[in-house]
This record gives sequence, structure tokens and C-alpha cells, in this order.
Amino acid sequence: MNDTYDAIVIGAGHNGLITAAYVAKAGLRVLVLERRELVGGTAVTEEVFPGFKFDTGAHRISRLYPPLVTDLKLADHGLELLPLDPTVFAPTLDGGHLSLWRNPENTIDAIRQLSDKDAASWNGFAALVAKATGLLETLYESSPPEALSKKRKDRWAMLRMAGRLRRLGKRDMVEVLRILPMTAVELLDEWFETDVLKGTLGAAGITGIFQGPMAAGTAYLFLHQHVGTKQGILRPALRVRGGTGRLAQALAGAARSLGVTIRTGAWVERIIVEDGRAAGVALVGGEEIVARQVISNADPKRTFLDLVDPVNLGTEFLRRVRNIKFNGVCARVNLALGELPDFSSLPGDGPHLRGLISISPSLRYLERAFDDAKYGELSREPFLEAVIPSLTDPSLAPQGKHVMSILVQYAPYHLKDGVWDESRCDALGDRVVETLAKYAPNIESAILHRQVLTPLDLELVFGLTEGNIYHGEMTLDQLIFMRPVPGWARYNAPIKDLYLCGAGTHPGGGVTGAPGYNAAREILKRVK
Amino acid sequence: MAAEKRYDAVIIGGGHNGLVTAAYLARAGKRVLVLERRHLVGGSAVTEEIVPGFKFSALSYVVSLLRPEIIRDLELPRHGLELLPLESTMTPMPNGDYLVRWADHDLTRRELYRHSPRDAEAYDDFGKLMFHLAFAMKSILGIVPPNPTSLNPKDLLSLLKLGKHYLGLPAEQFYALCKLMTMSAADFLDEWFETEPLKATMSASGVIGTFLGVRSPGTAYVLLHHYMGEIDGVFRAWGFARGGTGAVSESIAAAAREFGVEVRTEATVAQVLAKNNRAVGVALDDGEEIHARVVVSGVDPKLTFLKMVDPQHLPTDFLHAIRRFKIRGSSGKVNLALGELPNFTCLPGVGPHLRGAISISPSLEYMERAYDDAKYGNFSRRPYMDIIIPSMIDPGMAPPGKHVMSIFVQWAPFELNGGWNDEQREAFGNAVVDTLAEFAPNLKNAIIHRHVVTPWDMQEEYGLTQGNIFHGELSLHQLFFMRPVHRWADYRTPLKHLYQCGSGTHPGGGITGASGRLAALNILKDW
Repeated sequence: MNDTYDAIVIGAGHNGLITAAYVAKAGLRVLVLERRELVGGTAVTEEVFPGFKFDTGAHRISRLYPPLVTDLKLADHGLELLPLDPTVFAPTLDGGHLSLWRNPENTIDAIRQLSDKDAASWNGFAALVAKATGLLETLYESSPPEALSKKRKDRWAMLRMAGRLRRLGKRDMVEVLRILPMTAVELLDEWFETDVLKGTLGAAGITGIFQGPMAAGTAYLFLHQHVGTKQGILRPALRVRGGTGRLAQALAGAARSLGVTIRTGAWVERIIVEDGRAAGVALVGGEEIVARQVISNADPKRTFLDLVDPVNLGTEFLRRVRNIKFNGVCARVNLALGELPDFSSLPGDGPHLRGLISISPSLRYLERAFDDAKYGELSREPFLEAVIPSLTDPSLAPQGKHVMSILVQYAPYHLKDGVWDESRCDALGDRVVETLAKYAPNIESAILHRQVLTPLDLELVFGLTEGNIYHGEMTLDQLIFMRPVPGWARYNAPIKDLYLCGAGTHPGGGVTGAPGYNAAREILKRVK
Repeated sequence: MAAEKRYDAVIIGGGHNGLVTAAYLARAGKRVLVLERRHLVGGSAVTEEIVPGFKFSALSYVVSLLRPEIIRDLELPRHGLELLPLESTMTPMPNGDYLVRWADHDLTRRELYRHSPRDAEAYDDFGKLMFHLAFAMKSILGIVPPNPTSLNPKDLLSLLKLGKHYLGLPAEQFYALCKLMTMSAADFLDEWFETEPLKATMSASGVIGTFLGVRSPGTAYVLLHHYMGEIDGVFRAWGFARGGTGAVSESIAAAAREFGVEVRTEATVAQVLAKNNRAVGVALDDGEEIHARVVVSGVDPKLTFLKMVDPQHLPTDFLHAIRRFKIRGSSGKVNLALGELPNFTCLPGVGPHLRGAISISPSLEYMERAYDDAKYGNFSRRPYMDIIIPSMIDPGMAPPGKHVMSIFVQWAPFELNGGWNDEQREAFGNAVVDTLAEFAPNLKNAIIHRHVVTPWDMQEEYGLTQGNIFHGELSLHQLFFMRPVHRWADYRTPLKHLYQCGSGTHPGGGITGASGRLAALNILKDW
């Protein structure tokens, strides 16, 4: 096993595989090392209970960066994306409900049942979101501008960005600039009056961060979740046929066909640094593998604080890395169901069960859920985002039975008293089921098996520091040229030949592949 | 009425900014009239003798941001302005301990060391960084915000200059500034310190006057805004005006009068008069009409454009933007006349700590819980309070042996569940006194008179819409070229010859006079 590689990628998450594939495509010999026995990172599908397969990490994707799909011929490698329609279904306790659809006309009809005024506002709001996300899309396709760089190229890139902003026209440019730093509450209150509509849209602005919808920056995160989607489709979600793990398999297949070697069960213990440059990695067990470049798909804290000897990094850099906020707040509950949940406000089976199911009756509900977490406790009434993939994908569960995966927020990684032990874990599961039962009372009796993943489990299973699903919070102070840390946003590191390619880099979290794609481009630029 | 006088400019509102604008205009030879609704000038910067012998800085109570160029240009010391420094900030702790930061650097260092050697070390570096950042930001306070959508060479040049200034900063400062603009005060301070009362007390300046908690992103910037305090060119010194905050307004008014400004009190402007899409004067509530070449409004944007100007003179999208301008009030004021000094359990007796600020902010969690109450429409049951005892610094404020205490209280939402009434005002006053009495048990018996100002009172009595002390919240999307609304951040308005000069314009908030001065300079440019 003493082959030398041009590049080693630490971690076979989706971004790691994408970077590996692109770098290999340029002719480099690439080795991917994955700690687990299966590839995918958080993009995995696992048979947790016999016959019941769950997307234990990401249970939906919002979009894949389009060039990836064609460049890597992912369809040939078995990738099929299924858009959810309705995108989201949100029941309320007073017998109401709201569905948002892929066809804006249907959405407007659904909203009209609740408020004529909001139905009339919909198109205007959708247009504003489209303009803002269009701008972000431009920003996401490229490496973040280096604000302080004196290089003509970087200055030019910034001017181009300013030009793109100006092209929106006077009025829209100011409107977009105005809403970027706002709170989700402020943004949505300007447009709508219906609680469940605002709650359900606002939920996109808080997913994965330790903030409530009344915090500045949540409007940005709301927009982030909609980058690259068609105008009028909000809370968009795609499923991968066969489960999210099939995405990882397609990526791995593509990577292998380009010559990438993937080793699973290979746990990287440290990055070898020689003469100020990364020279390879050492595995648990002592094996050392040499390479000219090391690319880490692990999050920045893990990479710089666990894998690299601190003597190789400056104190100021280390301070910045230590100060990256992670604040994991998400947990996962996976249910094997004997029958479908029956929602009181919309009984029976129907298209509504095929979208995301969002327990987000109002912005106030979300804010209250956050209040508990702020003081280190699990939300008394958590925000839930559930999906029942077996409805569109019967292979995931035995016939007539179903799998339901639930993203739970807020379950703070740092508890006020104690840690996430077994009793806390059970309490979390109970809390989630109780909450859901208020809307779909049959759920309790329908449960055959239950798996609970606390933020601590997410850290242990997926290697996510503090269980943060984005490899670092997606808050305004940790975005663009400040992601992962100011001054090092170009996928590079103070150690030569060491790179980052995970969600901890620009443009951040969610299964989009954009960080991996951008990282590969930067790496190739420097290698050539 | 009979003698039709013609003025060059009429100023609506004799607040400190209105007076500054008036003074600068008169200094340039204009005939200026200031109209003030109340019986005294000053707006929110007034000293009132609410109980005989006891003088209160009824609302605004400290001075720090007053621009030194205004002090010089208007020769305010000659007109009676005397600023006395506040010497310390004391935070009593629930465990009976305390944290005091003194004017004396070595004392502060020793005190911090007692709580955390790490924090004592970090404190100096932090102070240096904030000094540099405040200095970097200062340049922005003194300019008229450029319009980024304009292709006017003047705007482009100004933008370019700003860009050059900020991108030319040392990396460390630039990134810290970016973080300040986007982080919460708590997160920002967490990166530096570990002592709870220190973090909580420092974070407080990030939330004063905003409807945000210390963990809300955006509050770190307000922290910096307060760091720009500057008395006579000395950075970061907070002070108190001899004679109360009203003395600041009076000195500006005296300077203005010397330049020939006429000040009329008890003159309530009802409407801005307009003809041919130009402001031509104002009408008072008694029907009197006063004509002038320009009209300058020192009151907040909502009051100006939604109450005083006929909507037909304003474009609908401008009105829409003004309507959604956020101006939620979040603070109240309790003024106490005291028979004796409060005796703090943590630091008993009379001492230098009573000559400075006293901050009830024992921990970040305390601060955040106080905010939670307000989020859902209640005043804080255990509020954050910033207290000073002016009579300790200026004995003229109270009869011999007696004292006045000024308590700034956050959070008290304007939109209170059930609405503000006498009963709620009393309950609010009780919450304040009860909380403070936990730290100074003799307080209740020492009270001779209690004067409670709710956000509702601030609106009704002082004309602050929703009781917002900054004439509009200092949130990122309401700053600089967006204050109060985009395109009209240069003190002009869509109605020709109508200008704004209050805190609702850049740079906004606090007794700075900067808005008033910049407005005047711009008006003169248009003349």
C-alpha cells in the first residue's frame, strides 16, 4: 500500500466525493478515505430496522449545483431526483392546514383559503425571493471575493459582483440589500398575515441554526435555502430515488470511473505536515499515506484542531477557528410505521403526505421553541420537519408499512444540566412523538420502531462537530468571505497543500455540492 | 396672525438636533424660527423639576456622543455647557459580589483580575480594538450617506472613498468590523471574556434602545455605536452635564439665540404647508400659519411624514417605506427622588461607586430573560437597568442631603399586552423598584417621589413615536443610506424645501447633534 497519490480527500461526504471526482478528472491520482464502512457522510441510507431503510443524515436535498449533474454524468450512475409536490404541508391545531405546491397557482389557491390578502401578496413575494436568490446564485458559483485582496483579479471580481447587484435595477437592488440582514419575522410580516404561512416559510430561515426567527440573519438563511429554485416554489425539497445514499453511490461511481480510489473503514488520525506543507495522512493503526495535496471534507474545527498539530498554525488563526460557532440544535427521529399518520385537520392518505410535513404553526411557535434551547433545554414544543419517503419509494419499507424521518429542532448540543445520555435521548423521542400526536393522534399506535439521534449522536456517527449539520452555523458572521474564518475563505489553509472542501466553506451547508465544486476549481488553479 | 413675518427656515421641534440645525443655519445668516410643542426646549434632552427641589434628566440622562465640532462651532462651554465625567460602572452580583470598572485603568485591571486573570488581559486588547474600530467608523458619522444606486459622480466618488477607507483597514480590524456588523453582542463578547457580569454589562450597550436581546445578531454594532462616546475629543468617556441633560439643550439654544434664532415654545405644529409641491411653511394647531422658505423637521420620520404632511405631496412608495420603518419602543425610565442614598449590599455605604453608573446586568442569561418578556408583549419582570445618581456628581440637582436617581429600564415594549394604563405604569414602576431593592434593600424606604415614564408616555408627552428613543431602531437595514429610507438619507425629502434633521436620519440615535449638523450643512448647500 505504498502508492503515492497526488491528493488525499479526508471523508467521503458528498462534497469530498465531488472534489475527488473533479480533481481526478483533471488527471490527478486521488484517494478518498472514509472512516465509516459506507460512503456519503450525511448523505447515506441505512437499514436501521430489518426491512426499513432510512436516510439517517440528510433526508432531503434542496438542489444540486447543476453543472455537477452533467459533468459527472450522475444520471448514468443511477441518480434520479424526485421533486416533492406539495413541497410542504403544515397542519395547525385549530383544524387548519396549508400546503405549498410546485405550481404557484395551486399554492395561491391554498393560501386563499386562509387569506385573500396573502394570496394576493404571493407573487410579489416570490418575485422578490427570486431576485435575491438570483444574486446569491452568482455569488455561490464562484469562490468568495477576497475583500482585502489588492490583486487586480480579486478587485475585479468584487466590482463584477457590484455590477450584478446594480443590474437588478435601483429599486430591487436596494430592496435586496435591505432584506439580506433582516430577521425572518420582519421580512415575512411585511408581506403576510397568516400565522401558519409565515411560520412555515420562516422555518426555512432557522433550520440548523441556534437562532429563532426574530434574529437578524434568518432572512438570509431563508433565501439560502431557495437558491437555484424556480420562482414561486418555496420550501423546495428533492428526494433521491432509493434514498439520499443513492446520491453518494452515484457520486462514488462517478469518482471511481474517473480513477478515484475510495477506501472505507479508514480513519484518518492526523494530517502529516512537513516543512510547512501537508504531505499526507496517518491513519488510526499507524499506516501513513503520502500525497502531494491533502483535502479535508471534515469540518474546519475537526480539521484544524483535531487533525493538525497546532504548532503548524498561528495563534490568531487558531483563535479564529476556535471561535467558529457550531451550536448544534438538530436531532433526528426515525420511525418505522405500521400505518400512515392520520392528520386531524386533513384526514386520510393524500398528496399532502408526500411533501415535507412541517410543524410550524406560527413564527411565535418557532421563537418559543428557540427560547427553551437558549437556556440549554429541549424545546417543549419543537419545530419538526418530517418526510415519509416510502410513499414515493415503496422499496424503503416492507409492503404496507412506512418509514418517517423527522428533523427536530431545537435540541441543543450543550444542555444546561447534564449531557445527552440515554434517558435524555428517550425523552427527546417521546417529546417528538407527543408533539406530532397533537396533529396526527394515531401516530403513537402506528410506531413499530423508533430511532433517536441526538446532536451528540450526530457528532459521533457523522463526525459533525457539536452535531451542527452545516459544519458551522450559517449565520451572517460566518458566511461568504468569513467562512470558515476571515482571511481563509478560498478553500485553502495556512498550511501549504492543505485544502478544505466541506460545508464549512463557502457557500455552506445543505446538500448542494457547491463547496466541493468550488474547492476543486481552487485546488486545480493552484496545482497547475 | 397679524404681523406676517417671513422666515428663511422654520424648525419643527426644539430637540437638540433641531436646535443644532437652527444654530448652524442662523450662523450662516438665515432667519430661523424654532417651534417647540412643550413649554421648554430640549425634546428628549430636558431637565425637569418634577418635585420641588429635585431636578431630573427626565429622559436622556448621559452625554457621550455629542460631536466635538459642534461643541467648538457653537462655543457651547461659553453658553453654559459643562460636562462632568462618570467615573465608574458598577454591576452588583446576586452572590453578593460586585464588578466595578473605574476610570482609572490600573484599578479596573486589578478589579478584573480579581474575577478572571484571563479577562483582565483580554480587556486591554479589546479596548484597543474597539478604539480602532470606533475610529474607523467615525469617518462614517461625519458624512452624508451616498446613494449607492445613483450614478451621480458625487455619490460614486463618496462610495469609492468609503470603499477605499474600509478595504484599506488592517485585516484584523476589517474582519472585526464585519463581525461586529453581523454578530450578537453576546457572541462577540464571548469570544473575548468569561466573566458573566462583565459580558452582560458590556452587552447592555448593544441593546439599549433596540428591540433586540443580547443574543440577537446586529447588537454588536450598537455596542460599537455606544463606544464612539467622545467628550471633548477624549474617546469613550461618558459624561453627565451639570444641571442635567437639559443643560445641553439650553446651551445649544443659547448659542442659537445668539446667532439670532427665535425660539417659540408651546407652539404645536399641526401641518406642513405645501404649495406647488414645495413646502412653504407650517400651520400650528390653533390655525396660525407661519411661512418660511424651508421647513426642517426634527421630529421622527413617522410623525413627520404620516401626521404632518398631506399624503398627496408624497410618492406612494416613499410613504410605504416610511410606514414599514421600524420604530418599536423598548425602554422606559424611572426617576426617583430619594431621601437617602441607596445602600448596596455588595458595597455598603457611600463611596465612589455611587458617582458612576450602576448597571443591573448580572449575567447574559439575566439579560436574555428580560428580553424574552418583552418579545411576547410584557415588560421585563426583572429588567436590565442603567442607573445614575446625578446629585452625587452635581449637588445642585437635589436639596441638600437628598438625591435624585435616574433609572433607564429595558425592556418595556410600547405594544404592551392589554395596553399601557395607570395600573400598568405602577406595576412597571414596582417591577423596577423591587428588582433594584434586591441589591439595595433600603431603597424602598428612601423614595420620596417616583416618576415613571413608559414608552406610551414617551410618545404622548415627548412626541417619540412608539416611545422609540432613537426615532427608529438602529438595525442594520435602517442604517446609513437606508436611514430613514433609501434615496432620502441625505436629509432631503420628496417634498421640496422640506428637510429632516432628527435622530431618524443618519447617523441617528443618542445626543450626538450629528444629524442636526449634517442636515444644516446640506440645507445650506441647496440654498
